[in-house]
Amino acid sequence: MSADKDIMIEAIDVNKEYRRAGAIIRALADVNLRIKSGEFVVVQGPTGCGKSTLLNVLSGLDLPDSGRIIFDGENIARATEDRLSKLRRQKIGFVFQDFNLVNTLTAIENVEAVLWPTVLRQKEIENRAISALRDVDLLDRKDHYPAQMSGGEKQRCGIARAIIHRPRVILADEATGNLDPESEKQTMALIKKINQDTDTTIIFVTHRDLSRYGTKTIRMDKGRITKIQ
Amino acid sequence: MWRKAILLSLREKKVFIVFTLIYTTLIFLTSFFINLGFQGDLGDLAIPLILIFFGTSLFLSLLYAWILVSRKRRVWATFKCIGYTNKNILVLVSGMIFFTTLVGFFIVIEVLFHYAAAIAYLNQTDLDLTLTILVDLGPVIFTSVIFIVVQLFAFYLAYRKVLKVRPIIALKKVGE
Repeated sequence: MSADKDIMIEAIDVNKEYRRAGAIIRALADVNLRIKSGEFVVVQGPTGCGKSTLLNVLSGLDLPDSGRIIFDGENIARATEDRLSKLRRQKIGFVFQDFNLVNTLTAIENVEAVLWPTVLRQKEIENRAISALRDVDLLDRKDHYPAQMSGGEKQRCGIARAIIHRPRVILADEATGNLDPESEKQTMALIKKINQDTDTTIIFVTHRDLSRYGTKTIRMDKGRITKIQ
Repeated sequence: MWRKAILLSLREKKVFIVFTLIYTTLIFLTSFFINLGFQGDLGDLAIPLILIFFGTSLFLSLLYAWILVSRKRRVWATFKCIGYTNKNILVLVSGMIFFTTLVGFFIVIEVLFHYAAAIAYLNQTDLDLTLTILVDLGPVIFTSVIFIVVQLFAFYLAYRKVLKVRPIIALKKVGE
């Protein structure tokens, strides 16, 4: 386990293989990585380079074949599913490429949904959702359904959902992939602001060049980290 | 979480209305035939008919559970990503199934109550009507209890299917 208290996530000798159509694909090959608390890390690389797999194993959505993932001081590579769920509920916020909002819920309900399984009272959940929606400048749309929102608004709603429980880390997988250039700029500025204001660690996976927003850029190719700058 | 299951049920308007209507019809018919069976009006047909209705309710509950989990796989995967356990999701799915049956039960009770009130009123008039109560309350409650017990199988199926939903699905592109 890492002795450095500033380290939020550490990957040690992580390997991951997939079997697809009879062929073995090495998605992660001897990956070693340290991400400090409060960093904004942009993970870049071409399609199929393993960056989404890296995100999956760092968040406990997928388990590595070998190696260790130390998340906030805890090795999650062999944690139980319930433990990983709890970890995600308490410490991780997700922002998805396709927004993944529930179409039958309003914006505020989508944001609140994160806290439904907790012991918090409905009033407290609602207050937090309102605060999160205000942070992403979407409060005036709180009673709108996803179908009534633009792509940029949906993603801001997705970001509000990712921050309502005040996570230590936000993981974003191609979060601007479905947005127009203007919405992309706004979304990146918003994520950058969250990173700076709340010291939340950001891991942003993308195939585009968005390194200017990050404090660290990791370049990947064929399952390996080729460059960290 | 149960309240949220009700919220999710009500928002799934089409599926909710269709299944509520089917449950309502099924509860009514089963109660009706149980009532006839109790009165001895059906002879040997009583038990096979009642078993067919219970079998149908079992099929319906399983179908509903399957639809709720399979059609909304991406939603449940997203919920897993944001920290829901399998148990949390099962509570939502079970709540949605249970609530639909409960609504069907209350609709049947409501309709029969008004029907009984109308009969009571009409029997007091001078009209020469020979209306009788269609179903007693006992068979309706008995039917609903059996329907709820049958749903345990649906909850089990839902649980097995929820276990199989991988959170990674939420990160894949739509249609991938």
